[in-house]
Amino acid sequence: MTQVLLYALTGAVLFMLGVRAALLRDTVLPRLLALNVSGAGVFLIFVSLAYRGDSLPTDPVPHALVLTGLVVAVSATALALALNRRLREMDNE
Amino acid sequence: MMSQSLTMLPDLVLAAMLIGLAWAALSSDDLRRGVVLFIAFGLLLAIVWARLHAPDLALAEAAIGAGLSGALLLVALRDEAGGKETAGRVSQVSRWMVDLFALIMACLIGWVLWLTMYAEPAERLAQLANSMLEHSGVSNPVTAVLLNYRAYDTLLELVVVLTAVLGVLVVGRERRGYRQAGPVFCGLVHWLVPLLIVTAGYLLWVGAHAPGGAFQAGATLAAAGIVLRLAGNDAAGLLDGMLLRWSLVAGIGLFLLVGLGVTINGGLFLQYPEAWSGSLILVIESAATASIAAALVLAYRGGRPDGWLSVADYDNNREVSR
Amino acid sequence: MNNLLIWPVALPLLTALLALLWPRRSNWIGVAGTGLPLLAVLLVSWQVAASGPLELALGGWAPGLGIALRADGLSVLMLLMSALVTMAVAVYASVYFAHAERRGEFWVLWLLLITALHALFLSGDLFNLYVTLELLGLTAVVLACLGGSRESLQAALRYLVLGLLGSLTFLIGVALIYAGYGTLDMAALGDAIVAGPTAWVALSLMTGGLLIKSALFPLHFWLPPAHANAPAPVSAVLSALVVKAALYLILRLWLELFDGVVTQAAAVIVGVLGAIAVVWGSWAALQAERLKLMAAYSTVAQLGYLFMFMPLLAALPEGAGRELALGALVLLALTHGFAKSAFFLAAGIIMQRAGHDRIAELGGTARSLPVTAFTIALAGVALIGLPPSGSFLAKWQMLSTLFVTGQWVWLPVIAVGTLLAGAYIFRLLGHAFAPGEGVGPSLSVGREEIPAVLLALIATLLLGFWASAVWELVPISAYAGGGA
Repeated sequence: MTQVLLYALTGAVLFMLGVRAALLRDTVLPRLLALNVSGAGVFLIFVSLAYRGDSLPTDPVPHALVLTGLVVAVSATALALALNRRLREMDNE
Repeated sequence: MMSQSLTMLPDLVLAAMLIGLAWAALSSDDLRRGVVLFIAFGLLLAIVWARLHAPDLALAEAAIGAGLSGALLLVALRDEAGGKETAGRVSQVSRWMVDLFALIMACLIGWVLWLTMYAEPAERLAQLANSMLEHSGVSNPVTAVLLNYRAYDTLLELVVVLTAVLGVLVVGRERRGYRQAGPVFCGLVHWLVPLLIVTAGYLLWVGAHAPGGAFQAGATLAAAGIVLRLAGNDAAGLLDGMLLRWSLVAGIGLFLLVGLGVTINGGLFLQYPEAWSGSLILVIESAATASIAAALVLAYRGGRPDGWLSVADYDNNREVSR
Repeated sequence: MNNLLIWPVALPLLTALLALLWPRRSNWIGVAGTGLPLLAVLLVSWQVAASGPLELALGGWAPGLGIALRADGLSVLMLLMSALVTMAVAVYASVYFAHAERRGEFWVLWLLLITALHALFLSGDLFNLYVTLELLGLTAVVLACLGGSRESLQAALRYLVLGLLGSLTFLIGVALIYAGYGTLDMAALGDAIVAGPTAWVALSLMTGGLLIKSALFPLHFWLPPAHANAPAPVSAVLSALVVKAALYLILRLWLELFDGVVTQAAAVIVGVLGAIAVVWGSWAALQAERLKLMAAYSTVAQLGYLFMFMPLLAALPEGAGRELALGALVLLALTHGFAKSAFFLAAGIIMQRAGHDRIAELGGTARSLPVTAFTIALAGVALIGLPPSGSFLAKWQMLSTLFVTGQWVWLPVIAVGTLLAGAYIFRLLGHAFAPGEGVGPSLSVGREEIPAVLLALIATLLLGFWASAVWELVPISAYAGGGA
C-alpha cells in the first residue's frame, strides 16, 4: 500500500503547488495552468483511493468522479480562455 | 525491505517527475514553455493512471486532459503574444506567507491521507459497486457508475459542458484565417480523420465492457474535427444552423427523456428497467458522444461561427441593437 | 410521488433545451420555464410542510452507491426564495431583453442557472454538490458577461478563476471525506462524521472553498465589480441567490454534517470576518457613487451579518434555542434575497431611463418613476432592518441570542452596521426624492415595475408577518444532528 500513499501525497503536493502558483501569478494563462495542476492533484488523490492492490478490483466510483471532474475542468478552461481572448481583442481595438 | 524499495523505484521516479514537471510548468516565465511542459505533465499523468489500474482515465486524460486542454492552451498562446503584459510583482513578504500557507496545508492534507489510507483505512464503495455490476446493464464498472449508479452527475456534467460552450459562443465571434495546409498534411488528413472516427465509434461501443465510453469517444471525434480544421476546413466538420443546435441538445435531451420516460411505469427518475439498461445506456452514450464532440469542437473554434444566428438574425435580419 | 423532487430540476433543464432549439420563441419559453419549476417547488414545499422531509433515490440505487435528492425545511425555504425571485426577475427580464440581440442565449443560460440552483438546494451527495457548484458558477459567469462591456468581461473572468479555485478546494475536502468515511451520501455522513483530524481538515478545506464563493471578507473583492457590471436582471439573481447558495452549503456542513466537529474558535474567526464585512461593506456602500455598486457593497455587508450568526450558533446546544437562531439567520437571508433583487431591478429601471446610475444625479426620480422610488424605499426598509420587515424580526432574535449566549461583543457591530445602512439608504432616498429634471418620461406601470415592487413587498411585509412559518419550517431536517 506504500506506493498508493506515495501517489496520494504527490497529489497533495501538486494541489498546493497549483494553489500557490494561482495565488502568486496574476495573469490569466499561468493561473489557468496552476488551477489545472491543482485539479490534477485532487484527481490523483481520488485515483489512489481507488487502488486496492494488484489482486483486488479497483473502486470504480473515484474513477468516475475523476472523469466527471476532468470534463468539468476542460469546460471551465475553455470558457476562461475564450473570455481572455475577447479581452485581448478589446485591448487591441 | 530491500525488495520493496526496489519495486517502489518506478513509482518514486514517476512521482518525482510529476512534481518536477508541474513545478517547471508553473514557475516558467516563458508561457509557451509552460504550456508545453503542462502537456507533458498531462501525458505523464496518463501513465500514472494506467499504473494505478485506471485505464478509462488514462484514455480520457490523454484525449481530454493533455490533448484537448493542450490544444486550447496552445491556441491561446497566440493571443498572448499581442496583448499587453501586466505582470505585477508580488511582495517578498506575501510570497513567504503564501509559501508557508501552502506548506502547512500540504502537510495537513498529507497527514489526513496517511491516517485514512495507511493507519486506519476505511471500507469504501468498491465492493458494493462491483457486486451490483450485474444489475447495471454493463460490465465496465466505471461506465456503470457514470451511466447508471451516478448517472445524474453525468447528466449535470453534460449541462456544464453545454454552459461552457454557450459562454464561448456568447463572448465573441470565432476567428478564421487558417491557411490551406500543405499537400503532405492534407494527404495525412485523408486517412487520419476516418481513422479517428472509427476509433471513436469503437471506444463508444467498447465502453460497455472495457475501458472507453462517451467522453473518450466524444473527445476522439472532436480530435477528428480539429484535424479537419487544421487542414483548412473552417467549420471543422461541424454542421451549421439548426442542426448544430440539435447536436448540442441531443445528449442532454435524450438523457433527460429516458430518465423521465422510465418513471411512467412507476420507476424512479433514471431507474432503467434492468432488461433494458444495456441498450438505454448505449443510446444515451451515443447521443452524448455527438453532443460532446460538437461542444469540444466549438470550444476549439473559440467563438460563435457565422452560422450561429441570433434571434435578431432570425427576425428577417432586422437591425436590432441593444 | 417520490419523483416530485426531480421536477424543480428537470423542468428548467427541459425548457432550456427548448429555448436553445427555438430561439425566436425564447421569451415565452423562458418565462414559462421559470414558472413551471415554481409550481413544482410549491408542491414540494407543501409536501414537506405537511409530511416532513422527502427523499428521492435516483436510479433506484441505495443512497451511497447512487445519489439521493432530499428536501427538508431549509432546502424548501431556499427553493421558495429562488423560485419566487427568478419568477419576478424573469418577467422583468422579458422586457429588459425584449430586443436584445443575444436574448436567445440569455434565456437558455437563465434556465440553466435555475436548474443549477434547484439541483444544489436538493442535492444530498457531496460530489454532486461539487458538480452543481461548478454549474452554478459557470452559468453565473456567462450571464454576467452578457453586458459585453470590458469591465463586465474582466469581472466575469476574475469571478470564474476564483470560483474554480473555490470549487477545487471544496473538491479536495470531498476527497478527504471519501478517504475517511467511504461514502459521499450526506445523510450517512451526518451519522458517521466524528471530531478528528480528517473531519477538521476536510471541513476547513470545504469551508474555505465555499467562503470564496460566498464572498466573505477578505475574499469579497471579486463581488462588487462582478455584480455591479452585469445586466440588471442578472445582478439581481447573483446578489440575491447565487452567493446564498454557498452560504446554504456552509450551513448544511457546519450545523448538520459536521455538527460537533466545529469548534467555537473556528466559529469566532468566521464571525469576526463577518463583522468586518458588515462595517467595511456598509462604509463602502455609503461612499459609492453608483447605484448598482452601492447595492453590491451592501450585499457584502449583508452577507457579513449572516456569518456573524456562526459563533452564536456554535455556542448554543442543539435544541429550541439554536433553532430560533437558525430561523433568524434564514429569515435574514430570505429578506435580503427578496429586498436586494427588488433593489437591483429598480436600479435597472432607473439606469435604462436615465442612461446612468450616478446617485448624485438622481434628482426627480420619485416624480417620474414613483413606483420604482417606492420600491427602493421598501427594499431600503428591509435592508436597514426596520419594522415590519423580516430582517427586523431576524435582527431582534439575533440580539436576544446575544443576551442568551453572553456574546455582547457583537452588539456594537450590529448597531454600527444598521446605522450605516440607514445612512446609505437615506442618502440615496434623499437624492431620489429631491427635485430635479427626472430620469426620463413617466411610463405606465407594467411588466417592468410590478415585479420589483412585489419582491420588495415580500421582503418588507410578507416575511415580516409570516416569519413564524420560517421558524416552523427550519427544524424539519433531513439530516442527523440538526432539528428535532
